[in-house]
Amino acid sequence: MASQSLAPAQQAAPNSASTPSKPKSSHPPVSILSSQFARGYALVHPAILLSLVAYRFSSVVNDPVAELLSDIPFLVGLQVVYVMGCLPPAGAEKDGNASADGTMRKTPGPKRRGHSASKGSSWSTGLVTVAWKLTPALLSLTLTMLLATPTLALLLVLFGAPLTTHHILTFLCAAHMALLSAFPLIYAHGVDGEIWREIWGASRPADAVWGGALGTCLGAWFGAVPIPLDWDRPWQAYPITILTGAYIGYVIGMLVGRARWVFGKRLEFVPQGARDIKVD
Amino acid sequence: MVRVAVIPANWLVFAANLLIPIAILVFSLGFFPYKPLISGLATFEEPHNAPPKIFNKVIFMVVDALRSDFVYSNNSGFLFTQSLIRSGAAVPFTAYAGSPTVTMPRLKAITTGSVPSFLDVILNIAESDTSSTLAHQDTWLAQIKAKKEQLIMYGDDTWLKLFPGMFSRSDGTTSFFVSDFTEVDANVTRHVPSELGRHDWSALIMHYLGLDHIGHKSGPQSSYMIPKQHEMDSIVTQVYQAMEQEAHLQTTLFVLCGDHGMNDAGNHGGSSAGETSPALLFISPRFKSLGTGRQSPVDASRDFQYYRVVDQTDITPTLAGLLGLPIPLNSLGVFIPEFLDMWHIGSDRLHLLLENSKQLLRTLKQTYPNYRFEGNTSHLKPQNSLGKAHCAWSQARELLERRDETNGSAHQTEIETTLLRFLWASQDVMSSAASNYDLRYLYLGICIAGLAVLLLLPASYEVLRRYQQPGFFLAASVCGYGAMMFASSYVEEEQQFWYWSFTGWAFYLHVRTCQFRRDSSPAKSHKISHSLLRICGAAALTVSHRILRRWNQTGQKFAAEPDIARTYFPNHQGTLWALVMMAYADIYLSLTHKSSVSSFLWCLTCLVVTVVAFMYKLAFAATESPELITEFVPSHMATALKGVPLILYARLVMFGILLLWAIGAKFRRKRVTHEALTLFLVTQSRVPNIPIFLALRLQLRILESLNLTSVEVTVTSLFMQYVTFFAFGGSNAISSIDLSNAYNGVGNYNILLVGILTYVGNWAGPIWWVSASRLLRSRRPWDERQSHIPLLSFCVACALLSVMAACTVLRTHLFIWTVFSPKYLYTISWAIIHHLAVNLLWDIDLFLADTS
Repeated sequence: MASQSLAPAQQAAPNSASTPSKPKSSHPPVSILSSQFARGYALVHPAILLSLVAYRFSSVVNDPVAELLSDIPFLVGLQVVYVMGCLPPAGAEKDGNASADGTMRKTPGPKRRGHSASKGSSWSTGLVTVAWKLTPALLSLTLTMLLATPTLALLLVLFGAPLTTHHILTFLCAAHMALLSAFPLIYAHGVDGEIWREIWGASRPADAVWGGALGTCLGAWFGAVPIPLDWDRPWQAYPITILTGAYIGYVIGMLVGRARWVFGKRLEFVPQGARDIKVD
Repeated sequence: MVRVAVIPANWLVFAANLLIPIAILVFSLGFFPYKPLISGLATFEEPHNAPPKIFNKVIFMVVDALRSDFVYSNNSGFLFTQSLIRSGAAVPFTAYAGSPTVTMPRLKAITTGSVPSFLDVILNIAESDTSSTLAHQDTWLAQIKAKKEQLIMYGDDTWLKLFPGMFSRSDGTTSFFVSDFTEVDANVTRHVPSELGRHDWSALIMHYLGLDHIGHKSGPQSSYMIPKQHEMDSIVTQVYQAMEQEAHLQTTLFVLCGDHGMNDAGNHGGSSAGETSPALLFISPRFKSLGTGRQSPVDASRDFQYYRVVDQTDITPTLAGLLGLPIPLNSLGVFIPEFLDMWHIGSDRLHLLLENSKQLLRTLKQTYPNYRFEGNTSHLKPQNSLGKAHCAWSQARELLERRDETNGSAHQTEIETTLLRFLWASQDVMSSAASNYDLRYLYLGICIAGLAVLLLLPASYEVLRRYQQPGFFLAASVCGYGAMMFASSYVEEEQQFWYWSFTGWAFYLHVRTCQFRRDSSPAKSHKISHSLLRICGAAALTVSHRILRRWNQTGQKFAAEPDIARTYFPNHQGTLWALVMMAYADIYLSLTHKSSVSSFLWCLTCLVVTVVAFMYKLAFAATESPELITEFVPSHMATALKGVPLILYARLVMFGILLLWAIGAKFRRKRVTHEALTLFLVTQSRVPNIPIFLALRLQLRILESLNLTSVEVTVTSLFMQYVTFFAFGGSNAISSIDLSNAYNGVGNYNILLVGILTYVGNWAGPIWWVSASRLLRSRRPWDERQSHIPLLSFCVACALLSVMAACTVLRTHLFIWTVFSPKYLYTISWAIIHHLAVNLLWDIDLFLADTS
């Protein structure tokens, strides 16, 4: 059934969003860092995540609360390695993709200062890079836990998760989803209001970060499909299918977002005819 | 140019809509075949040779929805009955009641011994129908009547409709007022002592409804349940003691049974274990001689299978045998072998089984006229049930011949087991062969529906191509819906599909609004409240949707989980009635809002009509569901409210609403007619559902602020129609049809009026959205609006096609009568009543303007 009801978002992306990222936008898509490690790990990371899902699946079915809780440190570790190793932190795109984009981010901040300092001296060893990337990573981790998790939990409930029961599971599910989707977003974009308005309107240009985030949510949405079936299998219990869908969606979204024929394109949902409505 | 292109397309749409009812008619002809029955009464072939009867009289006590565990389990009120089981005076069974588990078909099975057709379900609802009577069929009642003996009936008046003129004394109670737990039963019980004292009857039938009503109202775990079981047990005690003490009741058989069970939510109609497992007990002090006392009570089991499981149709031949009657002609039952021991002579026992076998063989031959039962296949390995039956029959004949040769009691048990094997095999064959489909009609119906889809394809494709994203979403939903019809659990849980895809649609609306807002220059931005609605409009839509989703739990899997209407409101009546009053106040305010109709008089009229309508609902609740107003209304006021003549009052309300509607129509005020309709729909809804209309209005306001294109309005309207149908408590099960408002203002049974009111009561949400989407669309340009009818017709035709295809492909599926056929019936009402009569008539102007 799932295969028939594809989400409009996924389909619409290649079809209608033929306009490449508009140059007027000052928020270009995020590219994976150009280093050897970054390019390699950006491919290894989804594989690790998926094998983790497959490996721990049966214990999630047995005891979802304990397993999801104990998985969080591992997930945090993996995601921290991924964002620090493969993504440019907020306000440092230029460092990431060399001279692909001429426009320099205007947001001033301690990070940028630290960055220029390290650039100034020639002993930019890996250790220092890690050190100055750790601060934004930890900051965005805090924000992920404090803001993104409750927001996603709320969204889960809005999309049909139980409201009066299963609170812990909803929160754990939201935490996993937030680590997948919101953590890289916050790391790469900081708290830039305009970018977050774009995210709220789902109109970011496609890249690994936004693709992963959108994929997580769509995957979770599709993950609800098997729940009503009368097979009475233990894995049909909330939220196992939803979270599995989220993981799969994250991996797909992340890879598709980087693909050459999608990268930089936006979802375009403004309907024909809507533009010429007279607003009364 | 558009004009030219549109006209031929519209003729196609018109033709397609004509084809829809034709397709339904043709398909139904093949799907619900008329089953020929053998007419006349059975007689004994050799009356002098018949085995002696064990009992002269029968007391047949039906307790509606008496699920097996209500009698047999640890947590039961039937304490005396359980002591009878221990002593052996009561022989307990679980009687498998095949689907449809509603009263009338079940009574047919109990009395004729045949498997009722699915048509009986529809006739069960259209209660006045007389074609479903059993007056001319062979039943054990007719057999008793043929002996010029008297039958007495008290209880559910379904019996009186099934057997007109059969009973010498009777007092029927209608099962319509479901909220009555005591009166329906007291009306039966008051006759019991006097009837037990009389000599003149041979069969006394009692049918108690109270337990079923409790189930419908508050489920099997209700606090009323155990006291009601005690009450029923006390009647068993009364009857049993009379049987022990009264001389004229010495040879009386007492049967206690349920016609069907109930599921965990207290409803029935489907085929879950709870619904198909009623209790069945044969009670008489004489059974003690069988020496088969059984353990009782026993531990509750989840599958409700207590003691031995027999088929409900087995009641007929067993009663016939014990009472010395010929077995009714159309019976598919098998004599229950536990009672064979009541006869001590071997030839009597064989005679009984042989009579049963010959009678079943006759029906078997009638059903399979081309199958030859003569050949000897006792040595062959049987391939199917029919072969098994044939094989057992050959063996039995062989054994019988050998017995005749030896002229003695040899092979007694062997013959008995062989005959029983034949009987069970034939019963198996006949139950599954009960419905023969006419495949030609099925395929023809599918072809016509397919043609309708094809005719609609050009027009809808044009629309979908022009409006890509909403078009794609609609196409994906239609495909998903079509595929879903082939999975029984998705049919049962259809609401999940609409809830789920609506969240996706809300996401689409959110994104397109955000992007639209970004694209339009900020200078154009207007009223702040308006733009606020637009920023969080879709979010608010999702919030209200999430609340509606929990209003009524429906479907099968999660039906018993707590929800707002059945769990929250009964315990928070203040909140319920505050919300209900808000809903009425809101209707009043909307009626008078910006009205240019002469002001003061208009306001007064609106006020009077709204208040009168509200008071009607209050009086209705006081009589129908008193548990909803105990906190809200003081008891003396409640009794005063109960005195209100409801029918007259309802007519007054309807007249008031009609007046408002007429005024609205005269002055061409779309809002006013819409509000009058809302008031009518509110009147036709159950009280706990009334606050939903507040949420619906909020959703309409949001959608108005979003500036939807016409196609988006159509898609939204389609989704909302289905979502609200399920949010109001509807589902694809026959048991969820809500009849509580079907008789508002109707004095005598009038099938057309009751039918319309039933439809309005169950489809209140969808009807509201038909009207609301017209308001939404009215601001759009004319040529854009025309896409509405082709799109809706396309969706309906596709749904119809997929349901027909699913019913044809899965016609041998286990759930065909419990899941797919009810779905087909619901699709018929969606397509014919809701689509053709409401959706299209509402927008008839779109159609006429074009085709002319």
